[in-house]
Amino acid sequence: MNLFIIFYQYSKLSLKTMLEYKFDRTFITLAIFFREMISVVVMFLILTRFLHIKDWQLFELFFLYSFLFLSYSLFIFLFAGIRDFDHMIHSGEFDRFLTRPLGLMFQIVASRVDYPATLGHGIVGIILFMFTASNVGIDWNIQNIIYYIIALIGGAIIQASIFMISASFSFWTIRVENLRNLIFFNSRRIAGYPISFYPSIIQKILIFVIPFAFVNYFPAQYYLGKEDIELFWGGYMYLTPFVGIIMFFIVYLFWKMGVRSYSSSGNSMY
Amino acid sequence: MAFIEVHDLVKEYKVNIRNKGLIGSIKSLLIPEYTMKSAVDGINFTIEEGETVGFIGPNGAGKSTTVKMLTGILVPTSGSITIGGLSPYKDRKLNTAKLGVVFGQRSQLWWDLPVIDTFDLLKYIYKIPENIHKSNIEHFSEILGLDEFIKQPVRQLSLGQRMRAEIAASLLHNPEIIFFDEPTIGLDVVAKEKIREFVKFINKERNTTMLFTTHDMVDIEKTCDRMIIIDHGKKIYDGTVEEIKDTYGGNRILSVEFGQNYENILMSGLELIEEKGNKKHFKFAKDDFQVSYLIQKLSQQYEILDITVQEPEIDGIIREIYQGGIKLNESLSGVC
Ligand SMILES: Nc1ncnc2c1ncn2[C@@H]1O[C@H](COP(=O)(O)OP(=O)(O)OP(=O)(O)O)[C@@H](O)[C@H]1O
Ligand SMILES: [Mg+2]
Repeated sequence: MNLFIIFYQYSKLSLKTMLEYKFDRTFITLAIFFREMISVVVMFLILTRFLHIKDWQLFELFFLYSFLFLSYSLFIFLFAGIRDFDHMIHSGEFDRFLTRPLGLMFQIVASRVDYPATLGHGIVGIILFMFTASNVGIDWNIQNIIYYIIALIGGAIIQASIFMISASFSFWTIRVENLRNLIFFNSRRIAGYPISFYPSIIQKILIFVIPFAFVNYFPAQYYLGKEDIELFWGGYMYLTPFVGIIMFFIVYLFWKMGVRSYSSSGNSMY
Repeated sequence: MAFIEVHDLVKEYKVNIRNKGLIGSIKSLLIPEYTMKSAVDGINFTIEEGETVGFIGPNGAGKSTTVKMLTGILVPTSGSITIGGLSPYKDRKLNTAKLGVVFGQRSQLWWDLPVIDTFDLLKYIYKIPENIHKSNIEHFSEILGLDEFIKQPVRQLSLGQRMRAEIAASLLHNPEIIFFDEPTIGLDVVAKEKIREFVKFINKERNTTMLFTTHDMVDIEKTCDRMIIIDHGKKIYDGTVEEIKDTYGGNRILSVEFGQNYENILMSGLELIEEKGNKKHFKFAKDDFQVSYLIQKLSQQYEILDITVQEPEIDGIIREIYQGGIKLNESLSGVC
């Protein structure tokens, strides 16, 4: 309970910081929004002019796409600290966390809320969802709504885990953000289309290595039940939350190892 | 058992021999190549509750490293630390609840927000009861003069103002122990003085234990009962400022303004070190000659207008210790 209050206090300060720079942050939010909208428009053009994906309707494809935005927005809202962890190590902010009577992961997560990115991606996601959710034949009963939320949270945790792997490298003062961005954002772009569309090797990577398939394809299939789900084990459709939890747990162990190494080696930046 | 006990504390840093590029980095991660660099090399000391200890030493001596181990940021390579019976890193959360830490080179305030916002956040982080939080802020504001800038964003504060806010922030939860790592760095005389007064006040009023690293000996003289000097990771002195002055500041400076410009003033015990016209400065060993005797002898032979005796400057003594000019003897330094 107490942690919720502290989390709330932290996000209040983040919000205040944002209001401190209203103009700048509004601009960033808009920039993110338009950048992402452009990718939606480009996709729309490609899909209407050149590309026909077997059996998938336009609305269905955008419903699939909406998962990426909503879960990314949620990820950034909850875990921006993990994204910015590198900086916390280099600036010594992490040392300060070590001198406070709170869990380290909690402080990392609580101390950052990136409202512009949350909103920028979130609004795109909501727009896509609004246009598609009622046009793809989903019965939004209570069970479907609950699984939808769980799948979004699971997807957010999967993405957080990917970022946390790269964050852990900063304990050894190894910078991998560029590599991470390369892997993360390209996987995400690829996952914008149904994975059945790709060669088997890419499907396997998106299921077992960088499991973006669980962020959007499998949860979307839970709702749409398109034919190509036959290519995969049907159980995958329900696995998103478990993949998230297991992945986070494994990555957390790696992260713990990093903390241990950090406190025995110190920060060579200072 | 003393409040803080440090036994045979050693910290060796692994300094990686890095290969370039990503492949190299991954290789360094998997097959680390490194040399060991010892930053703290077998330090022992104890600190009693309510003591104020100055912790000094030249750059790179290992002060910050020691403070980081005491605060639980770093784990010692070997040796042990207990603070009130707890281990700073094994019992990190319990221990940090009663610690205050001020890093002069780092900030814990929210850069874009008014100071008061960070104070509020700390209330929740340390679970400070509302009334204590409020009275502490009032109290600290009064002594440190925070009122004039408490509502201003931190980024707009001068270094001195920020440091005062920083110190207040670290003390809001009434810590039992406070570690200061160079809290007066870069501050002007007035700001330094304010901080020293505040530190002294808190120690008196709350019996707070304090460890204070600084390069300014005046800080130590004004705030600390005791000082520990370390060099190359080893403790070379542990005692009072007075003691070191008495033992190593055995010389006094006698400055005399004569009625006329005498050539060659010869007197046993006085060594001329500087002269400017009628004004001459002599050095003498205070244990060998009494000042009154020297003055009497001088005034018998010469016409004297003014005379002053100066104590040795602690800065000078410390400088000589750092440079190896003064070898501390073991009995004094308490190394056993
Ligand atoms: N993370 C690190 N990795 C490797 N060596 C380090 C690290 N941190 C400190 N050192 C080395 O350890 C020694 C002690 O450093 P430390 O910061 O404790 O000195 P200090 O007494 O605080 O000095 P100063 O007065 O300059 O602040 C130095 O030689 C420093 O170069
Ligand atoms: Mg230092």
